[in-house]
Amino acid sequence: MQLNDTPRLAPGCRLHPTESVLLIPEGALNLRGPAREILQQLDGKRTVEDVVQELLKQYAGAPADDIRKDVVDLLERMQGHGVVRA
Amino acid sequence: MLTSSPISSLPKPLSLIAEVTHRCPLHCLYCSNPLELKRAEDELPTADWKRVFEQAASLGILHLHLTGGEPLARKDLAELIDTAHRAGLYVNMITSGVGLTRERLGELVEAGLEHLQLSFQDLDETTANHIAGTRAHAIKLALVPVLKEFPLAFTVNLVVHRMNLDRLESFIGLAEELEPDRLEIAHVQYYGWALKNRSLLMPTQEQVDRSLPVIEAAKARLKGKIHLESVFPDYFGSFPKACVGGWGRQMMLIDPTGQALPCHSAAIIPGLRFDKVQDHDLGWIWESSAAFQRFRGDSWMPETCLACPRKEKDFGGCRCQAFLLTGDAQAIDPVCRYSPDHHLLTELRLPSDDVLPIWRG
Repeated sequence: MQLNDTPRLAPGCRLHPTESVLLIPEGALNLRGPAREILQQLDGKRTVEDVVQELLKQYAGAPADDIRKDVVDLLERMQGHGVVRA
Repeated sequence: MLTSSPISSLPKPLSLIAEVTHRCPLHCLYCSNPLELKRAEDELPTADWKRVFEQAASLGILHLHLTGGEPLARKDLAELIDTAHRAGLYVNMITSGVGLTRERLGELVEAGLEHLQLSFQDLDETTANHIAGTRAHAIKLALVPVLKEFPLAFTVNLVVHRMNLDRLESFIGLAEELEPDRLEIAHVQYYGWALKNRSLLMPTQEQVDRSLPVIEAAKARLKGKIHLESVFPDYFGSFPKACVGGWGRQMMLIDPTGQALPCHSAAIIPGLRFDKVQDHDLGWIWESSAAFQRFRGDSWMPETCLACPRKEKDFGGCRCQAFLLTGDAQAIDPVCRYSPDHHLLTELRLPSDDVLPIWRG
């Protein structure tokens, strides 16, 4: 996953309206920490870096490189599950 | 995946399998539905299904799996999907695709269908139709480009067994060309009708061994494009599968007549009585129905299982399989290497070549 990629959720994947759960075909993934906030920004237009910048606004003072790494790690993990497409 | 609750506490159901009908245009040799199918005139009416879906959502169930038979045989399917979707359920449908026009698919997606699974019997039309007992292969292939017109997750399911496992690589190739979001490679499960054809369908050890690297290679090749899931054939394993995620632990199934079952084939187990959604709400059934209590948790387990740390992983395996193979639903699943009946599987794995297929009517 590159910082200028514009990921989106795979077809048939959506966030549960209230709980920290990603609904996917035949299953569900429990989301922890800011995972929900990250995934809800994915629209196939925003870049990974856009998502990082948005998080930096919410978590003022957090080191940008740590956030960048966390976001990329999460998205790559989700890509591995087949629920995020770059 | 979702975190599990301890085996002893009352868990929360996550998925509801709705067998809305047993009517089906296909007559697959490996059909795992019961030998005795429910008749159309005994099917649960629209209003009852709708109530069940609403109750399911308030119980915290996330997924609805519409299946059958062929769910498309229900004229009220769009209405059922609409209710389930509005209640907050994620709606999956397993279909043969036979009779699914662009117009009808549009109605179903509009109503809230989010994921559709289409299974293929083989890559070659003649054998695929032979296995399905009807000419469905070309219809399925023709449906795929239509599916792509809709915002819908699409899974291709390849059902594998002795008759097609040698062609797995090309079979996966066919699936790749269809460009699904997900690809499932599923070995036949030997329940219901499939059991009748077990000696015809059971792969050989060599076939299974050869298939594993093919699947691993496909997983690596398709990574990031198509999500591949495969289910190892448990007859060839040393430990049982966590059948339905544990008895009365994650899922409930409603059959076409409204009976609530803890799994697909629970009706074969003698002495179980199933409550009906016409008489009780889903929450009561989940908590109190005797059939759901019967093998829930670990109090029913033989000593070997009770003392085994794997019980938190496989929940004692499959009760139906224990019954089918040993005659005792409470026995250790014979797939388990610690079962005194484990040798039965060695015998069942030996294929016999002079058997003829039996299609269901």
